[in-house]
Amino acid sequence: MAETDGYTNRCECGWEVTGSLDEVVDATIEHGRRIHNMEASRDQVLAVLAAGQPDEPADLSA
Amino acid sequence: MTREPVGWDVDSPVQAEVFVVWLDGVEIQLTGPDGPRAWYLQLGATEHPVEVVDRIVRDVIGPPLLVHSTSWRRDRDAVILSFVVVIGPELVGSMESVAVGRAELARSAATVAPREIAVEAVVEHGLRHLAWLADDDPVVATTLPEGWRTILAAYLPEPFRALG
Repeated sequence: MAETDGYTNRCECGWEVTGSLDEVVDATIEHGRRIHNMEASRDQVLAVLAAGQPDEPADLSA
Repeated sequence: MTREPVGWDVDSPVQAEVFVVWLDGVEIQLTGPDGPRAWYLQLGATEHPVEVVDRIVRDVIGPPLLVHSTSWRRDRDAVILSFVVVIGPELVGSMESVAVGRAELARSAATVAPREIAVEAVVEHGLRHLAWLADDDPVVATTLPEGWRTILAAYLPEPFRALG
């Protein structure tokens, strides 16, 4: 994946984040914990991001 | 390139649905961190729903005046516990609000739940519940700020309406 690539994740509540993989994962975990009482692991967020990109199951490992 | 957004959502088998309301002096307003839409919280197996709602509202918005569970239903592949949370106007800040309109309740059959329940019906039911508590529960009656009981009186049933 090129370095300029970005990721976006959107919560059903309307919140959205765009950035690098690490930024999106960290922001998603923080949003879930603070706003929705969710305790998500990095792997869980990565799995959701990967599931949303069926045409490009790129390497999502850090 | 920015990849298309993917989905992220509360997915626990029991969830809290929070309706944050405040009184602008004339009307009840619905608000929340993402505006007036329902606010969903994950509820863990060992967590007390009221404690979770109180804690999250307190952290995100500020100290609530009242936290009350008002109904439940099955939706979103989960059991949804609906809460009405009353806050003071000083906590609203930049959160978007909309005035709460009246709505028809979703009526059950004698032994069967309603087939569909609109969010507006959940809010209506919650405010009717709050209206009843304001009359019946001394804690609620004394906790609600000035003006609330007058507004909530419109949500009480009128079994003796004059017909003549």
